[in-house]
Amino acid sequence: MGVNVQSMLEGLMTALEPGNLLWLAFGGFLGTIVGMLPGLGPATAVAVLIPITFGMDPTTALIMMAAIYYGAMYGGSRSSILLNTPGDGSAIAATFDGYPMAKKGQAGQALAISAIASLIGGLIAVIGFVLLAKPLAEFALKFGPAEYFLLMLFTLSAIVSLSIGNMTKGFISMSIGLLLSTVGVDLQSGVYRFTFDLPQLSEGVDFLVVIIGIYAVGEVLYNYLTIDQPLDKKKRDVGKIWVTKEQWKRSRWPILRSGPLGFIIGVLPGAGGSIASLLSYTTERQLSKRSDQFGKGAIEGLAAPESANNSASVGALIPLLTMGIPGSGTTAVMLGAIIMLGVKPGPLLFEDNPVMVWSLVNSMFIGNILLVLINILLVGLLVKILDTPPKMLYPLILVLSFVGTFTMNYSVVDFYILLLFGVIGLFMKILKFPIAPLILALIVGADMEQNFRKSLILSDGNLGVFFASPISIVLILMTVLSVCYPLIVNGFKKRKRTVEQRSTNI
Amino acid sequence: MKKWWLAVVVLLLLTSCSSQDAGGPFPSKNIELVAPASPGGGWDTTARAMQKVFDDEGIVKKPIQVINKPGGGGEVGWKYLESRDGHSLAINSSLLITNNLLGQSDLSYQNFTPIAILATEWEAVVVPKGSEINSVKELMTKLKKDPKSLKIGVAPGLGNDDHLSFVQAAKTFGVNVPKLDFLVYKSGGDVATVLLGNHIDAATMSVSEAKEQYKAGRVKILAVSSPKRLKGLEKVPTWKEEGVDMVFPHWRGVMGPPNMSEEEIAYWDQRIGQMVKTDAWKEILKNNEWEPFYKDSGESKKFLEEQYQMYKHLLNDSGLTQ
Repeated sequence: MGVNVQSMLEGLMTALEPGNLLWLAFGGFLGTIVGMLPGLGPATAVAVLIPITFGMDPTTALIMMAAIYYGAMYGGSRSSILLNTPGDGSAIAATFDGYPMAKKGQAGQALAISAIASLIGGLIAVIGFVLLAKPLAEFALKFGPAEYFLLMLFTLSAIVSLSIGNMTKGFISMSIGLLLSTVGVDLQSGVYRFTFDLPQLSEGVDFLVVIIGIYAVGEVLYNYLTIDQPLDKKKRDVGKIWVTKEQWKRSRWPILRSGPLGFIIGVLPGAGGSIASLLSYTTERQLSKRSDQFGKGAIEGLAAPESANNSASVGALIPLLTMGIPGSGTTAVMLGAIIMLGVKPGPLLFEDNPVMVWSLVNSMFIGNILLVLINILLVGLLVKILDTPPKMLYPLILVLSFVGTFTMNYSVVDFYILLLFGVIGLFMKILKFPIAPLILALIVGADMEQNFRKSLILSDGNLGVFFASPISIVLILMTVLSVCYPLIVNGFKKRKRTVEQRSTNI
Repeated sequence: MKKWWLAVVVLLLLTSCSSQDAGGPFPSKNIELVAPASPGGGWDTTARAMQKVFDDEGIVKKPIQVINKPGGGGEVGWKYLESRDGHSLAINSSLLITNNLLGQSDLSYQNFTPIAILATEWEAVVVPKGSEINSVKELMTKLKKDPKSLKIGVAPGLGNDDHLSFVQAAKTFGVNVPKLDFLVYKSGGDVATVLLGNHIDAATMSVSEAKEQYKAGRVKILAVSSPKRLKGLEKVPTWKEEGVDMVFPHWRGVMGPPNMSEEEIAYWDQRIGQMVKTDAWKEILKNNEWEPFYKDSGESKKFLEEQYQMYKHLLNDSGLTQ
């Protein structure tokens, strides 16, 4: 799309109209809040607000809905960091190092860096949007079933490789996730699998319920086991609310690298923030010289996924705006809403309605800056959560978990699933099983299987379809690399050790 | 501080009780519109559109609430409706009939009170713009020769209107229907994506899902299932013109729980009849590329019976049921 300066300026003026700014701030704030609450995601928030958008100018509606979307990315990591409870799939990676940081007494810094990383990731993505929207959309179309299957395989292998030294448990956890993902109606044949005649299970086990169960309920149960032990006498330190120079230095490059990565993955329909943030985390861990500190509160391990998931949310708007194809649950709801307002997003939207698109792009610039302000201001308030006595905090988390679960599908069956996974989460914590492989396998498992089978239908059963395109080859190489990486690292370590031993023997 | 919270809770309880107060002429309490799907899809959009018009135009004076009950291709929401009274209505479509015929649900149209058929979309057969196929005749000839030569995208499940409209047309061309290779996707958007990327050879979807891509010249629409050519698609022939005697609506309607009283049915007939005449409703139909297809409760009952017979035959033809 050539960058049309005139419509861009016009868009900027529209975005700066007081009404639009107000809705932008409202959407961003609301997004932050729903992002924080378990179960309430941006898709629900946008859907609930659809009646408000009736009668709104379509541009304003779009600006507000997009703000909810990326606002939720800012908010999602808050509870990951403070409570080890991700609000959404894309906030899982923020628990890996965010929560350990909070435990180390750096909660303030963790919240700050995640807001800063989100801002930079968001800005990178907006610039990417301006320059690359159309070509990237065309690139995304090249991803057929085979490529999607391989991308998901790569993601799974990357996540398993995270559990270095604990690969067996990682694989078990992933396998449970994959098994769970087979529950529900099989699209290709229409057969109901493992649904036990419960229509509520026909669309599978909702991964958000599992996330809330394992993380939130599981965490609460786990803490009840230790609740009788006397609390640490010294009050938990929350640290400064701003990052140190050294921390910034460590996070700078991971943030800058993860922005574009998340953006590109976000453009792929269906891939989304969860995959983007996890892949950026594993990439940074493999690149880092301090990879042994990852998972123990390395600030770059929090900064990278935070940058990636926010840029992915901007990227996800590209298929919607360039082709009229929603790439994620939230954008699907947005599509429905703007159609009601008489706008038809399709390949011609950029030509027919340039000012609207550019207003949105400009509003995303402004919105990201606004959100950082909102989130930094909230840090002081949020860290107080850590001071909340457990007897208040845990019941509150339980209440929020149940409310959040119910608002997703309005189904009581989900409560049982929630409790079941709370118990499973408890045992996984006691037995020290990594949780992320299970969740991620559940998120991508069903699509992975479907894409595998579709690839084979397309090729009439020929496995060569998985090696047929350059994209596939690259993905296969990366998968092999990520599986072998821990082995190589271990090999090196062992050799080093034996060499050292030998030298001491001599 | 604690007392303050208590006051709020009590207040909330009180307000929620007062709205449940029954008695008096129908409707005596809040109205529920059940969308048996997650927000964003056609059922949800229909429910929210009704809510908006009822409310904005003052047609229904009581507060109206849209409730999403996704799962089981509608079954979860409809099961919920079964247990409600005449203040609740649910959106339906042909899935109400086909789910039952396919053995996926015990519920069918006989378990409910038909209230109205509201609107319809039409089905389209689409191929990528670079495809060498230019007409349904070419497409079907190819499929007749080798049913597996073309891969056809459809969403969100076999046995739905997108799928069955194609089956019916293929049948008349003598294609060996049960042998066809359908790739089933979760949503029409997914099908459009793989079609644009040339990963599949053809797709059957609702016209609204294909129209924007068609206008941008990115896909070719070979035929539509409407009785006459459609506005904005004047160059696309109908199936009838292509020699297939088929008009295939993809309708959406609304129904109530079983055992509704005459008074309740009459109330909804009158209010919905009023709703479909408003400009606001017409505007929503236009924006969504839906066509008016209004039938009142009596007509709906007859229509559903006809549809039941038709789908029964079609599903047999497709090889999905015996």
